[in-house]
Amino acid sequence: MAKTISVHSFRGGTGKSNSTANLASMLARRGFRVAVVDTDIQSPGVHVLFGLSEDRITHCLNDYLWGTCQIEQAAYDVTSAIADADSKEPATGQIFLVPASLKSGAIGRVLKEGYDVGLLHDGFRRLIQQLKLDYLFIDTHPGVNEETLLSIIISDLLILVLRPDSQDFQGTSVTIELARRLEVANVLLIVNKIPPGMDRVQLKQKVESAYSAQVAAMLPLNNEIVNLASSSIFAIKFPNHPFTRELELVAQALTE
Amino acid sequence: MPDETVPFLDALLSRMKSAASPLRDTVTELWEKYRHLDDGNVASYIPELAKADPKWFGISIVSVNGQSVDAGDFEQEFTIQSVSKPFVFGMGLEEFGRDHVLSKIGVQPIGEAFNSITLDEASNRPFNPMINAGAIAAADLIAGKDFPARVTHLIDTFGRYCGRPVHVNSSVYASERATGHRNRAIGHLMLNFGMVGERIEETLDLYFQQCSIMVNSHDLAVMGATLAHGGVNPLTGVRAIKASYVKDLLSVMHTCGMYDYAGEWAYRVGIPAKSGVGGGVVAVVPGQVGIGLFSPKLDAKGNSVRAMKVCQDLSEKFGLHIFECGSAERSIVSQLSPVRSG
Repeated sequence: MAKTISVHSFRGGTGKSNSTANLASMLARRGFRVAVVDTDIQSPGVHVLFGLSEDRITHCLNDYLWGTCQIEQAAYDVTSAIADADSKEPATGQIFLVPASLKSGAIGRVLKEGYDVGLLHDGFRRLIQQLKLDYLFIDTHPGVNEETLLSIIISDLLILVLRPDSQDFQGTSVTIELARRLEVANVLLIVNKIPPGMDRVQLKQKVESAYSAQVAAMLPLNNEIVNLASSSIFAIKFPNHPFTRELELVAQALTE
Repeated sequence: MPDETVPFLDALLSRMKSAASPLRDTVTELWEKYRHLDDGNVASYIPELAKADPKWFGISIVSVNGQSVDAGDFEQEFTIQSVSKPFVFGMGLEEFGRDHVLSKIGVQPIGEAFNSITLDEASNRPFNPMINAGAIAAADLIAGKDFPARVTHLIDTFGRYCGRPVHVNSSVYASERATGHRNRAIGHLMLNFGMVGERIEETLDLYFQQCSIMVNSHDLAVMGATLAHGGVNPLTGVRAIKASYVKDLLSVMHTCGMYDYAGEWAYRVGIPAKSGVGGGVVAVVPGQVGIGLFSPKLDAKGNSVRAMKVCQDLSEKFGLHIFECGSAERSIVSQLSPVRSG
């Protein structure tokens, strides 16, 4: 049975897409078949992390939603992005990416016309079947919108990424309330960009008691990831970095 | 103070749940299965109806908790025609009560065509409110001081059932009115027997208006869901008919709703339903859902060919026949819970 995992944050800039790409890559490296769908139609970006250049993209999620292609035609094999240069072993897993369009016209069309959100559900299910997936990651648009709500409904697990600041705290409680009303099976929290010197134990307790949900990772503010400038998958490049090791705990939890 | 925005959120969440429900898949599959079924003919007794595109095909299901799934041309409007009949019968019941209405209109299936000119010889009543004679007698009971007031009452009532304002297609109305000689004859025959009031010409116009109300398959499903929900529109929470009269409507739909196929329908499909020559069908699964269907090609008895197929499939798949005593796990409502994609 494939597992569907939505990664969401109430506000932008939390490191949501980065967390999604890294977790998905870690699972693919463990030998699983994984896909990432960028449902952040208004502000897509996760394809950059996988080094999927725009000229390679002939079909994207937008085309599927407008009925001009099947969703698997918009799925690109990006396994090369997670290849380990030092290792001679071929990766046994595989990772696919369904990007959203970066063309301003295509983004505008979605905003103006909308689309049948049920198609997204049909597409996810078809993708799981066609690509024989073990894991489907949905990278959502920040805030509350239809894609997010649908993604939450159909997910086995909702991962919420937040920073330790009060705007994120308040927004996350909105998402948690919606998730509970939508009877989502499991919620995990990732606290990201924790500044140096902040009391991590106290912060973790505070977050867990505020949301009655488990904190799966406490990620430090990471200068190396900033320097990488979203050009590749951090965990692949820096497998022994504390950031990577902390995220590995989440990946491990997903396989259990 | 209660948060007045909660219903908006509930509606949004319910829409998202429906979008992820297995019933959506079922409805889409049925649409695919029958979209190329090409049997039957588009009604042509008035030119306006003959303009319908035979390819149009809409399927809608609305549950008593307000969830809905739709497929195909569910937004395409068409004239309600005879699907209006049980609802106008309900207006008469609310205005005058069961005893008075039953003194004017019977509830006996007759197995004759919808436009037959036959009255019960002993009582002079039309046999039931689903044939034209009975429907005209029911339209006679639409209250109001004058014609505009009666039209307003009619339109408002259908608006409550649909959960949105409805309007009359004036060219269909004009066409029905100009060619409705047989209905005029039926009306005057009943006037002769004292079964309708002196304002029969006005009532006939009202009847032609009623038949020319524009709806789509989603509207029909909402109307059906309103009956399934005891008379309260599940989308708006507005009551369209007293709960105590819902069973009156469903009973006549069950026994007389599908023209002279009604008996076969009750036996094979077993869901109270009403069809119209515009190609619409409303079906009601009490306590669960309303089903709205639209496809203009009709069989020889005047029922939409594809709509009947879809109803039959849904009935079999989910055990919807009202005398089905089998398994409860096949409940159609359970199909509206979202499934995780895995």
